[in-house]
Parts: sequence; structure tokens; C-alpha cells
Amino acid sequence: MTYVITSSCVDIKDMSCIEECPVDCIYEGDRKLYIQPKECIDCGACEPVCPVDAIYPDRTLPTEKVVDKEDNRVFFYDVLPGKDEALGSPGGSMKTGPIEADTPRTLELPPNPDAD
Amino acid sequence: MADVGVDVLVVGAGPSGLNAAYYAGFRGLSVAVLDALPEAGGQITALYPEKMIFDIAGFPAVRGKDLVENLVNQAAPFEPKYLLGEQAIGYSDRGDDVLVTCTSGLTVEAKAVIVTGGIGTFNPRPLPGGEVFEGNGLEYIVPTYVPYAGKDVVVVGGGDSAVDWALGLEGVAASVTLVHRRDEFRAHAHSVKLLKDSSITVITPVSPVSVNGDGTVASLTVRDVKTKESREIPCHALVAALGFTADISPLEAWGLATQDRHILVDTTMATNLPRVFAAGDITEYPGKVRLISVGFGEAATAVNNAATVIDPEATVFPGHSTEGAQA
Ligand SMILES: Cc1cc2nc3c(=O)[nH]c(=O)nc-3n(C[C@H](O)[C@H](O)[C@H](O)COP(=O)(O)OP(=O)(O)OC[C@H]3O[C@@H](n4cnc5c(N)ncnc54)[C@H](O)[C@@H]3O)c2cc1C
Repeated sequence: MTYVITSSCVDIKDMSCIEECPVDCIYEGDRKLYIQPKECIDCGACEPVCPVDAIYPDRTLPTEKVVDKEDNRVFFYDVLPGKDEALGSPGGSMKTGPIEADTPRTLELPPNPDAD
Repeated sequence: MADVGVDVLVVGAGPSGLNAAYYAGFRGLSVAVLDALPEAGGQITALYPEKMIFDIAGFPAVRGKDLVENLVNQAAPFEPKYLLGEQAIGYSDRGDDVLVTCTSGLTVEAKAVIVTGGIGTFNPRPLPGGEVFEGNGLEYIVPTYVPYAGKDVVVVGGGDSAVDWALGLEGVAASVTLVHRRDEFRAHAHSVKLLKDSSITVITPVSPVSVNGDGTVASLTVRDVKTKESREIPCHALVAALGFTADISPLEAWGLATQDRHILVDTTMATNLPRVFAAGDITEYPGKVRLISVGFGEAATAVNNAATVIDPEATVFPGHSTEGAQA
């Protein structure tokens, strides 16, 4: 059980959720933010602060957004384009800073028209 | 000689630790409970004191802070020694007992330790660029309003702490400005209404960029999240209420065997270290479920097994509480 950031976050990256997360489990990719599923404690603090309503508990993801759950996992457990090894569970995004990569799926998404 | 000597030291005053304190007392063991936070209650106190909890057996519904109060009251007859505001960072095995050291220098010797550290110690989230001003005009918690008398104060944040502190400072401080990165505040609706009716200057949606001053805080620079325009707000004091983050590393430094920042335990809740047991959210084993009721059970298992380490003649089973008179 964990929260998931869906693709509405792409090119927006408001970062309010990062400020809320008590376990620092939200990591910054190039185009969107991602939640480390093993580090998330399911507290729900991030969900209401997202200005584009991109965050859902994985239990209630709308059908068309179920792919985003797998995409959050891929960000941490697959080797991302341009990287040499998987990120895994680093134990806090304040430690890692921006990751400077995205999942293959995120990279292919068209520019977000809502971004300025 | 250590500063404190007890049979059982409980590290972490969340629900699991408070139940461990009760069980240690029930077994006739002297007990101390240590927590980095100034108050007992762990995640419940830090993250959701006002929420209703519906899955505590025997309580169809209970408010978070009431559950914590009940746990403290349940252990109270055994007079646990509370060591609050203390972070445990060091552990050494001395054969017949263990010595635990804290950041403040406090030392505790115990015959057994129950680690109920949950997701780790909560620390205030630091204000970017604020490090050099900590204690020189920048504070992360406001235990009393007196030092702010006559000052121009800026509070950063949008949660209950930020809004409550801003309201408390109004009338004491010369002026109060509240800055937040969103237009909406997630503090209690009632507090937000009080804020609207107050003399507090509210600036949103801005995020802090830099703290300025020569040794002590003189101003805060903020940037408008939408227009990207920056402005400088002169002030004598700055309060950053940006929430908490949890950090498990002080416990990892003990040499505990962990997996993804959780402590591996066996069926008696024993860890790899002599005389050290664990219970609650911090434990890991196949099938682990992180809930308060599970932590309660693990705390009972840990303390009753620790009792046999403290006194090899003792039995694991404590006897039924229905049989004995309370202390
Ligand atoms: C929003 C939210 C809602 C929840 N709702 C429910 C629910 O409805 N039902 C349910 O069963 N569970 C719920 N939970 C989960 C529940 O709160 C946890 O399972 C529970 O708090 C775990 O208790 P604990 O005592 O093991 O650890 P914690 O509550 O995490 O307490 C650990 C304590 O140890 C301290 N500590 C850690 N390391 C050190 C150290 N080195 N030195 C000093 N102190 C230290 C910490 O400061 C902390 O106070 C919820 C959690 C959240 C965030």
C-alpha cells in the first residue's frame, strides 16, 4: 500500500508534496515526481496539497491511471535511461537531491499543456 | 555510573513503546522510556493527534490523542521514567547489561532494551539556507512566546503549527507575517478563520529563497510561486514550521541488522544484538503488517521474552492481568 504520483505531475513538479512528506520518500525526476513505494508510510499528507490532483492511494487509482503505479516502481527498481544502476531505496530525497532521470514512459509523454 | 539505570529501556514513546512500558511495569521491572520528541505518542502525536482511529480492538472509535493519553495512564501506576527530548545514538554491550547514550550526553544502563523507534526520530524539516541562523533568530519550534516580545516575526508554513504559532505570537510580537507556498492553509478550519480575522499579514503563494543577515536574521527573501517575483521581508525572528521528517540512521549506527531501514527480528522479537529487542513499525519479518494493534502485540512479546533474559528463572508467560492487583 502506497500513494502514487500520476502523469498529471509531468512538467509541473510543484513540489508541495515533497514539503509535506514526513518520511521524505518523494523523489524529483526531470519531468515529474515519484513516490518510493517501500518508503511510503501511507499517511496521505501529500494528496491534498497537490495543485493538479496528481496523487492517489494505489488502492483507489482510476483504471486509466493504474499504469502510473508500475511507473513509480520502475523509477526506483529498474535501471533508468542514462543511469548505470537502479536507485532502489535510498532512504530520503533530501539525501539524494534531484535524480536527473525519468522512466521510459514519462520520457515519451507529450509536453503537458497545463505547464507554463 | 550511568545517569539512569533501569531493568528495561524503551527507545521510542509511540504506541508500541508505551505498551512496552506498561508490560515491563506489569512484570515488576523498572522501566524508562526515551523519545526524541518532547511529547509521547510517536506518529500519532506528530502526524494525526485529532484523527479518529477505528481499528484498535476494544475501541470502536478513539481519537489519536485520547489513545495516547490512555496508554500513558495505563503505564502510569508503574512510574516509568520518561526521558523526552532525548535521541538515542549509541549502544554498547557490557556483558551483564547495555549502555545507551544520547545526543545530549545522557547515558542509560539497562538489562534489556526494547527498540520501538517506528519510522525513526522526527526532526523539523530544515529551512533551505537557514543552517547558519539556527539559534540566531531562526527557530523550528516555539515552546514559549515570551522571547518574541516586541519583535517583527515571520512564520513560514501552512499547517497547524505554523498557524497556531502565528496566532499565539499576535499581540506579543510587534508584528507577525505568515508566508506559505499555497493560498490554502491545511490547518484546522477554525484556526484559519481566526487567522483571517487577525492582524497577521499573510503572504501567499510564496516559497522562501534565502535568509539574510549578518550573523543574526535580518530578513527573509521569498519568491512568488506564480509570478516568480522576489521580495524581501525584514524581520528580527523567523519561525520555520515546515513539518517533520523521520530519520532512522541513529539506530542503524548501533549495528542492528536491518532490511530497508527496518530491524530484523525473530519470533521472540529479539534482534541480532544481545539484550536488544524490537517491536512496532520498526520491525521486519515475512508477513509484517504495520499497524498499531500489531505493535501492541509485538511489544508484549518483546517485553515478556526480555524478562527471561533479565532473569533466566523468569517465565515468558507473564500470568493473566486479571489475576493480580494493579500496582
Ligand atoms: C496519518 C496516519 C494515519 C494512521 N492511521 C492508522 C490507523 O487507523 N490504525 C493503525 O493501526 N495505524 C495507523 N497508522 C500507523 C500507526 O500510526 C503506526 O503503526 C504506529 O504509530 C507505530 O507505532 P510505533 O510505536 O511502532 O512507532 P512510532 O509511532 O513511529 O513511534 C516511534 C517513536 O520513536 C522515536 N524514536 C525513533 N528513533 C529514536 C531514537 N534513536 N531516539 C529517540 N527516539 C527515537 C520517534 O521519535 C517516535 O516518537 C497511521 C499512520 C499515519 C501516519
